[in-house]
Amino acid sequence: MALPQLPNYLRSNRKRLALSQGEVAFLLGSQSGARVCRYERFVCEPSLETALACEAIFKRSVSELFPGLYQKVEREVAARAGALAGKTDGRKPTRQTARKREALADLATLIS
Amino acid sequence: MNKIFPKYPRILAIAPSTRGFGYAVLEGHKELVDWGVKSVTGDKNAGSMEKVEEMIAHYDPQVMVLEDALAKGSRRSARIQALTKRLIALAESRAVKVALFSQKQVRRVFFADGCGTKHALAEIIAKRFPEELGFRLPPRRRPWMSEDYRIAIFDATALAFAYLYRGPEAVEARQNDRHRIAESVKKSRRNAGERGRSL
Repeated sequence: MALPQLPNYLRSNRKRLALSQGEVAFLLGSQSGARVCRYERFVCEPSLETALACEAIFKRSVSELFPGLYQKVEREVAARAGALAGKTDGRKPTRQTARKREALADLATLIS
Repeated sequence: MNKIFPKYPRILAIAPSTRGFGYAVLEGHKELVDWGVKSVTGDKNAGSMEKVEEMIAHYDPQVMVLEDALAKGSRRSARIQALTKRLIALAESRAVKVALFSQKQVRRVFFADGCGTKHALAEIIAKRFPEELGFRLPPRRRPWMSEDYRIAIFDATALAFAYLYRGPEAVEARQNDRHRIAESVKKSRRNAGERGRSL
């Protein structure tokens, strides 16, 4: 049974290290644990800087920490890649466009 | 892409206790997503129901695993039995599959002869998830000590594992449970009616 993953796994990673929300907030440079709580409850998404700080704290890649978000972004990129591949179809086939089409086709099929 | 689509369902296991309940959320055999104990004060069943409802909304589990407090020979209190019935009804209303396991069935998953203490079971689970649960393992209970509240986390995780290893058994049991729960609800209504008439 395939199921979409949760937007993020910050809570499990924080608990694994026995850290409180306040302590993680301190490591992230926030004032209080309220923001961490919001991330954990999927109320808001962290900035790139915060996401990278999470990677540094939990020693896991951003895509592993935020698989749901990663999945959503990946799907959107694939849809755009499909659209871009459609636009390049009419162009004169050169080595460069052939390479580009290959890369876009790869991106588009990666998700489906 | 297999990485972002886990093969196994997300399991929410609930182990009611005197404080409230212990819980564990698992994605397959390897990923323990969340775990802990929720303490409830006042009306424990109503408070527990609220918290479980929040957890279902948050984690969107495919399966909820509970201890079969209504099983023949179960020594769980009337409050826990009532809570189990309410949790089953809640899960069904949220389209979450319910699996019930008796203590015996859970022990059969972990011990070859089906016999073992709660602490032995907790030790096995702590070894399985050393980073997550290793430091939450309570000390061995002595005869003069009450049960540690943290043991509910291990009970819940054990229930989730029981589902992972003996899922079909629970599904079969579930068909009988429906009948049994309906019967017990009818019986309690009948008793309440008789009491009302006698008053």
